[in-house]
Amino acid sequence: MSSKTDAKLGRRGFLKGVAAATGAVPLAPELLVATGVAGAAVVAQSAVAEPAAPNLPAPEAGYQSLGPDEAGFVEAMVNIMCPADSLTPGGVDCGLAVYIDRQLAGGFGKGERLYMNGPWRQGKPQHGYQLPLTPEQFFKAGVAAANDAVQKKFGKDFSDLSPADADAFLHDLADGKVSDARVPLAQWFNELVYPLFVQACFADPIYGGNVGKVFWKVIGYPGLPATHTHDMVDFRGKPFPGAQDPKSIADFS
Amino acid sequence: MATKLKQRTVVICGGGFTAGLIARQLTAKNIDVLVLERGGDRTRGAEARLPNQRDELRWDVRAGLAQDWAVQTYSLRHSRNEDALPIRRLEAFLPGEGMGGAANHWNGQTWRWAEYDPILRTRLETRYGQRAIPPELTVQDWGVTYAELEPYHALWEKLFGIAGKAGNLRGQIQAGGNPFEAPRQDEYPQPPLPATESGLIFAKAAESLGYKPFPMAAGNSPNAYTNPDGMTLGQCQYCGHCERFICEANAKASPEVLLYPMLRKRSGFELKLHTHVTGVDYDKQTKRVRGVRYIDLLTGEEYEQPADIVVLASFVMSNTKYLLMAGIGEPYDPTTGTGVVGKNFCHQTMSGVNVHFKDRLLNPFLAAGSSQTCIDEFNEDNFDHSGLGFFGGGYIYSNVTTGRPINHRLVPPGTPQWGSKWKQANADWYSRSFNIYVHGSWYPHRENYIDLDPTYRDAYGQPLVRMTFDIRDNELRMSEYLTKKAVEIAQATGATVVGTPSPRKGPYDSRVYQTTHVTGGTIMGADPRSSVVSSHLQHWDAQNLFVVGASVYPFNAGYNPTGPLGAIALRLGDDLVRYTERPRQL
Repeated sequence: MSSKTDAKLGRRGFLKGVAAATGAVPLAPELLVATGVAGAAVVAQSAVAEPAAPNLPAPEAGYQSLGPDEAGFVEAMVNIMCPADSLTPGGVDCGLAVYIDRQLAGGFGKGERLYMNGPWRQGKPQHGYQLPLTPEQFFKAGVAAANDAVQKKFGKDFSDLSPADADAFLHDLADGKVSDARVPLAQWFNELVYPLFVQACFADPIYGGNVGKVFWKVIGYPGLPATHTHDMVDFRGKPFPGAQDPKSIADFS
Repeated sequence: MATKLKQRTVVICGGGFTAGLIARQLTAKNIDVLVLERGGDRTRGAEARLPNQRDELRWDVRAGLAQDWAVQTYSLRHSRNEDALPIRRLEAFLPGEGMGGAANHWNGQTWRWAEYDPILRTRLETRYGQRAIPPELTVQDWGVTYAELEPYHALWEKLFGIAGKAGNLRGQIQAGGNPFEAPRQDEYPQPPLPATESGLIFAKAAESLGYKPFPMAAGNSPNAYTNPDGMTLGQCQYCGHCERFICEANAKASPEVLLYPMLRKRSGFELKLHTHVTGVDYDKQTKRVRGVRYIDLLTGEEYEQPADIVVLASFVMSNTKYLLMAGIGEPYDPTTGTGVVGKNFCHQTMSGVNVHFKDRLLNPFLAAGSSQTCIDEFNEDNFDHSGLGFFGGGYIYSNVTTGRPINHRLVPPGTPQWGSKWKQANADWYSRSFNIYVHGSWYPHRENYIDLDPTYRDAYGQPLVRMTFDIRDNELRMSEYLTKKAVEIAQATGATVVGTPSPRKGPYDSRVYQTTHVTGGTIMGADPRSSVVSSHLQHWDAQNLFVVGASVYPFNAGYNPTGPLGAIALRLGDDLVRYTERPRQL
């Protein structure tokens, strides 16, 4: 594991202590402004560099699928894609790496509901996924191939790149500018990695990401239970109070 | 070795929407009905109960209620000179599984098709001349008229408690409804759903352009409702979990709420869950079917189920597959245009444009699957196609059914895909955006069809259904035209940002959801040379075999398919009562 990853894990340990000491701290007031009724211009002005991390519970500790190098890649990646800013803590602290790990370790990663009969041939993009790999296997093959490409270009691992280099490399992946002899890296990033990232941000926190419903608070999604028979008309075009304090599956379990 | 069971009167393959309606008519006359359904009863599972019902990842993103592609999928090629590949995880449409089928996870969007739709070929030839219709556009009439179906529409809407505003009562155009609506004898059973904020914005913009906006008719119940059978719907909670979900409030008109609980109490009705029908036994000499074979998925045992009458009521693709595997009817041959089974396979032509409002709060999560506002000026033949170079069209609407955050966040063009600016854009625009969408027709093309894949097999060792399928010029042009109309409305909303329009482009993409409205393959008509089943849905080559589902539509309209499907299923139920009394070609 890289020193950078160690530093993050150390930070996570620190956050656990904070959470234990303070309990569930509501989102900072400036974020409620950001997610509520204010116009876009006001929101833009409120974007300050103060990280919001201390308000969140710690993500689950430990990985089920990812090995140390893979975890280093994923943690560095989610911290680039979700940097700590006024809206959320960094991706690792939001649980995004844990989410991806749990998905790879679970039914999705093992190829549940995926037709896996051969023969295996490559088609057009519109045919969708055509590799003889489970999503977990594909994910890991892609991490290894992407890391090889980083090594070739920068002489170091992805997790050791500067944030600017790492971000540029991810854009190159998305734009199909990074090639590997055997792994289709653009498809890997755009059709496997990126959807997992988005799900990690916005899925219910029971799956390990979106810790503390942080992303739901950012956008103002009220979550559960959503019994809106009267709200539908009463709050039509008006700020909906529940959007500031979303509820998740765990809150009703 | 299959165990042979005792003879049953009517055996229905597939326990979904149409099977429930047919069985309602038959069991009311004490006729013995056995329904074979591959899935289970989901009404007490996590998918139907709080809190887990509200799990976007499990039921929406992972399509937990849809067909398991590991067991059975379809293959795709865009033209006959290509090799088809299996779609390993299909997103383009979502067949259901379990008691109630795909109608459990529908949005509730309800339409009667246009009065001219059952005679579309005649209509187009009359209006534009025979030569105006390109030979590859294999649109055809149904062999039945809207007037014959109207009473069944009315009955189905009462059974399902449909909420809406009539636009045409017995020929009189009604303010506030759809002026292009086929004439109705009665108002909708329930008042329309309230408009969303986005609907109000859309309506104002549409009116400013001279259009007549109206609320979409809905299978989401605005009030507690008791239908003529005494079955009840709860009140819609506008929770935004309709399509891809089972309604935990029992407020979505669906077979697992309104039909099967009643049927299962009726004597003479039997629903065998977890049974996968593997084939239909056909006697080519006598032109009759003997029954079906199925696997009990709980035990793995095989059974032979003899029946007086067999009804294929499974999803579009499977209905065609059963016929092709049993050799019933002539398979469609695109090289000659002869044969019928697998012909006129269609989907839906969706497109749209996003609108973003700096100073409007839209609360997209306060919505139901059908709480939309629509215009119908540009649907199908509601406008003059002279010189346009295409036929067909669609309704245009404010498409807000949910604010589920994984898949329903709209951001303006130019927003990066990740990073702080991406987050900020989501914070700024999530509650302030919606899309104006076109729900467009898909007319049949001579080269679009389904047959059996020569290479790929399902978990039972049977061939996959192969789609030879692409979006053709007619639909590309239609989508271009309709999307422009949507953009004009978008510009009239006063939106801060109008997004990049997305008219439909080819090739046909298995990765992008359109609608679950695939149609055709076992089309109906008045002529055995050009249809698989008669207008009574009776197979031309097997008198005691009936086929029902969107597979019998000779084309796909610019309207959602559920309404006419309810009507033709109820009509088939009555036809089957007559057939059991006196078996004959109806």
